[in-house]
Amino acid sequence: MKIDVDYARCEGHGLCAEQAPSVFTLDDDAELTYHAEGAEVPSDEVARARAAVASCPVAALREIS
Amino acid sequence: MRLSEGVVIVGESIAGLTAARELRKRGYDGSVTMIGREPEGAYARPPLSKGVLRGAASESDLAYLHADLDLVHVRSAAVALDVTSRTVTTADGRWVRYGALLIATGADARRLARPAQEGELVLRTLADARLIRDRIEQARSAIIVGAGFLGLEVASACVAHGVEVTVVDTEPPLLRHLGSYTSERIAGHLTRHGVPILQVDGAVRLVGDPVAGVALPDGTTRRADLVVTCAGDVPTVSWLSGTGLADSSGVAIDHRCCTSVPDVYAAGDVAYLRAGDGGRRAPFWSNAVAQGTVAAASILGASPPCPPIDDYFWTEILGLPIKVVGPMPVHGDPALIEGDVSAGDAILRWESPGTAPTVMAYGRKIAVRRLRSMARQADRVDHAEASRSRQK
Repeated sequence: MKIDVDYARCEGHGLCAEQAPSVFTLDDDAELTYHAEGAEVPSDEVARARAAVASCPVAALREIS
Repeated sequence: MRLSEGVVIVGESIAGLTAARELRKRGYDGSVTMIGREPEGAYARPPLSKGVLRGAASESDLAYLHADLDLVHVRSAAVALDVTSRTVTTADGRWVRYGALLIATGADARRLARPAQEGELVLRTLADARLIRDRIEQARSAIIVGAGFLGLEVASACVAHGVEVTVVDTEPPLLRHLGSYTSERIAGHLTRHGVPILQVDGAVRLVGDPVAGVALPDGTTRRADLVVTCAGDVPTVSWLSGTGLADSSGVAIDHRCCTSVPDVYAAGDVAYLRAGDGGRRAPFWSNAVAQGTVAAASILGASPPCPPIDDYFWTEILGLPIKVVGPMPVHGDPALIEGDVSAGDAILRWESPGTAPTVMAYGRKIAVRRLRSMARQADRVDHAEASRSRQK
């Protein structure tokens, strides 16, 4: 599973980081870091990552494979 | 409960889709049918009044993906419900039977036009947003009727496109939503950006056919290239007539999202909590998510995993992001936790006896988790102070 992150659309709500804290983190300024950029989401994180994609209120996350 | 006949969700909304996802997450492997009137299916609505109005590029990929949920789709509006035969009728003439039903039809824009008066613009759907964006690109002047979140977001888009915009309302901006302290500061923010707020003392009428302006209570008329009605919303309940499920406030639910009819649940903008369970309708995205989650648990006979209210919402007005956690509106002046309000970069906290504190990020980008933890810390401080003062 890969996720495409639209950083321009991200508003820093951080709900993804609540769902999948080892895949997404936000710093104090609510800037998002996606820890699987350019790689596959680790298999034991797929369910949480999928919940994170679904939790984004602005559809900035997208499962692409 | 007759779950063998499947779950039917009416409304391809965030509430409906959240419920579908929660049903699957909890291991329900029976049929889930989604009935929705949107030809494109479910999509994210919060960006409609923000990114989508700014430019066509940002409307791509708004669709919510749900191929993993194994849903049966009926892309036609529900037009009637019969709770005796447990059947939903759709506009294209189908009858869909349910074991459990979730009402998640959301709300429609409240309209001000006379019957048969054409050209009123409102913003609820992707089609609405596309139309308004095209009109903003052509317009030189605009009038927005309503100084709530939506009205101010549309006004912000007008300013971004260089359109001269006036906002009309009977109340100061966001007063009913956020209280007087924030309202005054938002009014100042709008004035500094050259957006006049025209406060009127009575109902505004749309004039022209198609609509081309507004008639104000003082007898004057104002015209503009673009007039958008942002006057609130009304729950989408006409298809429930004759069932006793809905009144003008929507569908009443308890804290488990149960309605007055067995095996019928409701969630999201269409629903309101009964008096003993909160007693209000709070049509915000985070409440729709919370209620969709609760409804799915209740359908499966499980206890609610969270309250049916999640007081988190956000807006962005002329580049000023506002995020709030806690009950709203608040009264009086807040405590300054961090930053500087006049610089548009602050964390504020309101406390009132008997309720959870409200924390607001004013102009500061912050993750909801941090905001929630600040609210919890505030709560603990309050309890500690209360117990100290009791000991004295």
